[in-house]
Amino acid sequence: MGEMDLKKAEYYTNRELSWLGFNNRILGEARDASLPLFERLKFLSITASNLDEFFMIRVASLKDMVHAGYTKKDISGMTASEQLKKILKETHELVDLQYSTYNRSLIPALKKRGLKIISEHESLSEEQKKFVDAYFEENVYPVLTPMAMDSSRPFPLIRNKTLNIGALICRKDGKEKHKTLDFATVQVPSVLPRIVELPEGKDGEKRVILLEEIIERNIGQLFLSYDVVCAHPYRVMRNADLSIDEDEAEDLLKEIQKQLKKRQWGEVIRLEIEGKIDKRLLDILKEEFAVKDSDVFEIGGPLDLTFLMKLYGMEGFEDCKVKKYIPQPVPALMNDDSIFANIRKGDILLHHPYMTFDPVVDFVKQAAKDPNVLAIKQTLYRVSGNSPIIAALAQAAENGKQVSVLVELKARFDEENNIIWAKKLEKAGCHVIYGLVGLKTHSKITLVVRREEDGIRRYVHLGTGNYNDSTAKLYTDCGLLTCAEPIGEDATAVFNMLSGYSEPKHWNDLIVAPIWLRKRFLRLIEREKNWALAGKEAHIIAKMNSLCDREIIEALYAASAAGVKIELIIRGICCLKVGIPHISENISVRSIVGNFLEHARIFYFYNDGAEELYMGSADWMPRNLDKRVEIVFPLKDEKIKQQAKHILDIQLADNLKAHILQPDGSYEKIDKRGKKMLICAQDYFCEEAVKNAKQPTDPVLDHVFIPAEAGIFSDRD
Amino acid sequence: MKLFAAIDIGSYEVEMKIFQITSGKGIKEIDCVCHRMELGKDVYRDGRIGVEMTDELCRVLNDFVRIMKGYRVDDWRVCATSAVREAGNQLVFLDRVKRHTGLEVEVLSNASQRFMDYKSIASRENEFNRIIQKGTAIVDVGGGSIQISLFDKDRLVASQNMKIGNLRLRERMMNEGVSLKHYETLLTEVVKNEFLSYKKLYLKDRVISNLIVVGDHIGDAVHKNVMTRADFLNFYDDMIYRSDEDAAGRCEVPEDVISVLRPSLVVYRCFLEAADVENIWMPGLHLTDGMAYEYAQQNQLLKLVHDFDEDILAAARNAAKRYQCSKSHIKVCEDLAVGIFDKIKKSQGFDDRDRLLLRIAVILHGCGKFISLSNAGESAYHIIMAMDIIGLSEEEKEIVANVVKYNTVPLEGYDKIGSSRMTRENYLTIAKLTAILGVVNSLDRSHKQKSKEAKQILHENELVIQLYSDEDLSLEKKEFAKKAEFFEEVFSIRPVLRQKKMM
Repeated sequence: MGEMDLKKAEYYTNRELSWLGFNNRILGEARDASLPLFERLKFLSITASNLDEFFMIRVASLKDMVHAGYTKKDISGMTASEQLKKILKETHELVDLQYSTYNRSLIPALKKRGLKIISEHESLSEEQKKFVDAYFEENVYPVLTPMAMDSSRPFPLIRNKTLNIGALICRKDGKEKHKTLDFATVQVPSVLPRIVELPEGKDGEKRVILLEEIIERNIGQLFLSYDVVCAHPYRVMRNADLSIDEDEAEDLLKEIQKQLKKRQWGEVIRLEIEGKIDKRLLDILKEEFAVKDSDVFEIGGPLDLTFLMKLYGMEGFEDCKVKKYIPQPVPALMNDDSIFANIRKGDILLHHPYMTFDPVVDFVKQAAKDPNVLAIKQTLYRVSGNSPIIAALAQAAENGKQVSVLVELKARFDEENNIIWAKKLEKAGCHVIYGLVGLKTHSKITLVVRREEDGIRRYVHLGTGNYNDSTAKLYTDCGLLTCAEPIGEDATAVFNMLSGYSEPKHWNDLIVAPIWLRKRFLRLIEREKNWALAGKEAHIIAKMNSLCDREIIEALYAASAAGVKIELIIRGICCLKVGIPHISENISVRSIVGNFLEHARIFYFYNDGAEELYMGSADWMPRNLDKRVEIVFPLKDEKIKQQAKHILDIQLADNLKAHILQPDGSYEKIDKRGKKMLICAQDYFCEEAVKNAKQPTDPVLDHVFIPAEAGIFSDRD
Repeated sequence: MKLFAAIDIGSYEVEMKIFQITSGKGIKEIDCVCHRMELGKDVYRDGRIGVEMTDELCRVLNDFVRIMKGYRVDDWRVCATSAVREAGNQLVFLDRVKRHTGLEVEVLSNASQRFMDYKSIASRENEFNRIIQKGTAIVDVGGGSIQISLFDKDRLVASQNMKIGNLRLRERMMNEGVSLKHYETLLTEVVKNEFLSYKKLYLKDRVISNLIVVGDHIGDAVHKNVMTRADFLNFYDDMIYRSDEDAAGRCEVPEDVISVLRPSLVVYRCFLEAADVENIWMPGLHLTDGMAYEYAQQNQLLKLVHDFDEDILAAARNAAKRYQCSKSHIKVCEDLAVGIFDKIKKSQGFDDRDRLLLRIAVILHGCGKFISLSNAGESAYHIIMAMDIIGLSEEEKEIVANVVKYNTVPLEGYDKIGSSRMTRENYLTIAKLTAILGVVNSLDRSHKQKSKEAKQILHENELVIQLYSDEDLSLEKKEFAKKAEFFEEVFSIRPVLRQKKMM
């Protein structure tokens, strides 16, 4: 091969556009008529909340770049303003598709199933009108705070992401010829349910209406001495990217609290309004929020579709939902021994949510009570509401164990939550560390130090997902329980490093970002390339959430060009392009979007037969490799390696939920025609976990990827 | 199983290691917590440790105490080295640390510190014993100074301290504000000059094929623990002109490590040029490892193979040779001294350490003559005090120096002698050892080794020393009578000399 320039912009996809593609794939699920109806509502809701976050973070930072006059191009050769232009165009299309799905497909389908969403208060029946007016009087009116703007009262501050109703009002007693129109606004209270159920119809049909419609209908009540000329809902999205100057911030905790307050008032980057809005009202909003036309989204339906998640939770309609899966017990732990005794028998691989997250909680719980345990150390990134792990850690501290907890305050959108836990833990006597300045601690690791007869023994849990028992039911993640000495030593060093002490002299097994991880991945990819150049079989399989690191992609291109077979399973952003002649023809990319959120990171290198497998918390993104503390760990145990490889194999065999990246950058589902066996990886793992829990045997020996009982693999229809 | 915490307050880092010591598995490091802070920077510049540094140190030490307690360690030890040793405000500093952390910090003398480092190396028995079969030098790099110890066969024979520690050199160069290229030239000049005299004194008839490096981070930077000469020179050429940032990225170590590694590299290179080193061994050991080893040794938790006393004696003998002391005279005296010592040991409550000190005093008792024949005692005192006898504490060295001094002049009163370190107990040890040395020295007054054999018999208050000799011992007898008086005064045992003719 001659020297190729692998850096050319045309070889890369812009990450934001790739992300929009991902959201489109989720929208695809919402549009998939073969799925249970309520699942489709859920997917649509996810696309909406995803989009909100995307605007607050990504679009906001692009806007910041434009304001700052930053003209550097991204890997795909686009400047920030070029990206914004393209993003806005595609987002408008996406939103149109969201609402056509909602209006044309979901609403009629819901009606057919006996759930009527009344989208305009004007179409309420007389009886219903009475009902909603009473509801308004009793429940809504007391909590509303209407605000008007006139010469003496400035435009009020409208909070980020809140739903509001804007109105034009005019004094009733005005006799002058030139009656002036004033602007007034009221927030749709977030303390009340957005969906209001109306009395059932004769046929048992359920009917609901949205809260803003009820308010709109009664808006006259709020401005009694005025005529309401028009009233329409609107919603703003503000710049919410937290950028904290850590050098300045003496106390990170205080700084984040301060920033949290500020987040309400960032620059407005998106204005959503009802499609049929009064032009005069719109002009006021546009002017007051200082937004351009392209930032205004005219919505053909209810604003903020995240209410659909609440609708999903509505009672009844169980036949329109996928049966709730119950995470299964872990075969290796299905006995009376303590978790420590079980780990001593050999490494244990956990695969959530197919397997229950309980062992991870138990690991900490048992350690808290075990008299031989000296210390427990853990990193917490996003913790669930009533976390049993936090309770166990506090318990351990009270039992006299040394408990060190790294609480990552900088976990986006969870900061508020994290501060509460941090304080609670400190009160219980835990040693709480707030991470390293400039680096977000994204690694998921727990260390239990135990004094045993023959010396100190360390038990470690390493994971690809957060220590959050709620998300563990929705995210697919892997975890490893081990008491291998090299990993134990490394784990100790990780916590010393996180406490601000020097890095260790060397690492045994763990590969830690930001210093060592990038280089290691590049070496592993290059080694595979060298095998290919030497005429040997060479194969990389990598599963992750996002791939957008230029250096890694370049290495993958070079490896592919040398003949390495590269199979990527990437849920979200992928800046790599497939099918570039002589460059990426050996690379395939698939994205699996299913009921569970694919979240595990698994890396496989064939290495001329001496296969190596790694798992970890890091994606191949610059932020993971350079700006975070991440841990990637090798799987050493032969049995565990097979189990992990099995996970990859099944995902590669998925032909129901997998979308395949095309050379033009689009994703397409696999043509099912003529396929003998239809495989949905997530369903397969569910089934397998149930089977393994019934008769705890070796999950690998049982199947050599021949899905014997084909029941669940057939298409759902 | 015992858990032991060792804390080293060094010139550029504070380190705590937790060790697990079991008779089966030996010493195993369980945890290593290291905080980079340059105490030495304050000291080498201002002569004292600043308030900010002290506060930072207390904060770190308190955290160490917390960690240590978490492990429920059985014992701990806190040692400080050159930075604290040289600090003008040492006592105030130690007091503050004690009050804020509850930790009693032991300030090690250079010799004890180096000896402990040496022990850490020797604790790697297999590798160590293999390496020292060939001529070997240990270069122990500290922030303030370096210590070069030489091995002959498997004995440590000489050890020399030089004030070219990495932090000290770095600080000195920092003030120059020079380019990297010029930096290297200047540094080389400084170090080379130091090595010039060292070479003359120690290296002229020795082949040093192995170099053992302890105390700094070169091993972490090259990511291995053995290098050939060529490896090192390549590494040196590759690194020396790189910026700290660049070098740190290349070696995957933090930048501050590079800034102190740079002067060390120059030191190694200069040493390589002074000696014919083939291989460099970097076991990556630190003072804390030696502390654990010593703890295990003192508490008889491990069986030790290497005899460290023999190292100290070998080093003393080598020094004696440099000062042209008579080897045969020493031999006779040493045998006699040990003979007498062993006879009265029990009744006088002597221990093995006293025996070692006596032997060293005997070995070195003639060194003063190298300077001045008329004032040999005083000269010997100063020579010994200036010597690096690694393995001896300052206190012990002072005992030896005094014993040698008062071998030739009458012992003065407690209030007249020695330094503030001198305890009553040590004074008594000096008196006792001086008495023995005086007697044995008198027995070979002529330095002719007239007696071929000797025998000691302790009978109640009388110690009979039988010398088997056919020669005229009248000179010895006369001298003996003088020394016997003092001996009796000290021990309440009267030494009696008897000559037995062989024929």
